[in-house]
Amino acid sequence: MPRYELALILKQMQRPETAAALRRTVETLMERGALVRDLENLGERQLPYRMTKHNQRHSRGTYFLVDFYAAPSMLAGVLDHLHRDVDVVRPTLLKKDAQVPNSNCCGPQK
Amino acid sequence: MLCLRELQRWKPVLCRYGNTGVRSFAVAADEAGRTEGGLVNMENPYREPQKGCVLCDVTVDFKNIQLLSQFISPHTGRIYGRHITRLCGRKQKEVSKAIKKAQSMGFMSVTHKHPQFMKDPNICGIKHLD
Repeated sequence: MPRYELALILKQMQRPETAAALRRTVETLMERGALVRDLENLGERQLPYRMTKHNQRHSRGTYFLVDFYAAPSMLAGVLDHLHRDVDVVRPTLLKKDAQVPNSNCCGPQK
Repeated sequence: MLCLRELQRWKPVLCRYGNTGVRSFAVAADEAGRTEGGLVNMENPYREPQKGCVLCDVTVDFKNIQLLSQFISPHTGRIYGRHITRLCGRKQKEVSKAIKKAQSMGFMSVTHKHPQFMKDPNICGIKHLD
């Protein structure tokens, strides 16, 4: 199955609520048949620009990165669910490509 | 209109002698690669090793905003062109795409450079009058 990456920005909340939101997201993914491979926390920081979502203006947020394997047909449903979640400020789904070897880059050949 | 027609008539006359600038440098050589006069067929001994760009062995990622911020203007946040960053074509494209991706995903700012990264070393060949 192809590999995807979900860059999730959650709104500024207390720790138990953030944990609950994450749990909800991962459970949604697993219900639809995804295989979650990795979950990284990139920390809570100030957003680069103020984002408006669900009638709220956000200036701080917590960044998470979810790596998972999934079938392409379920992605639209997942994204729709994430857009409707009140705690999620910005969900972005990306496909993870295999690393292009840097051997044929310019520069001295080793 | 009339002068255009005249120019078209003149064109074949001016080019009658063909491309006189190009001359062929084919020199007769024997089996050992030597020619008359003692020239040996070899590659250029003074050839310098090919220099790479700054990001030659570095993977460019949209998460690495500190690296990406080195290629944007600190005043306006605009991405520097190839003649300023001096990156090779492939890396310039990768950096440009990663910056746009990070900006749209909410990782990097669009109109300015993060104040935390203002003290980073200047890779690009641009001097600001600060």
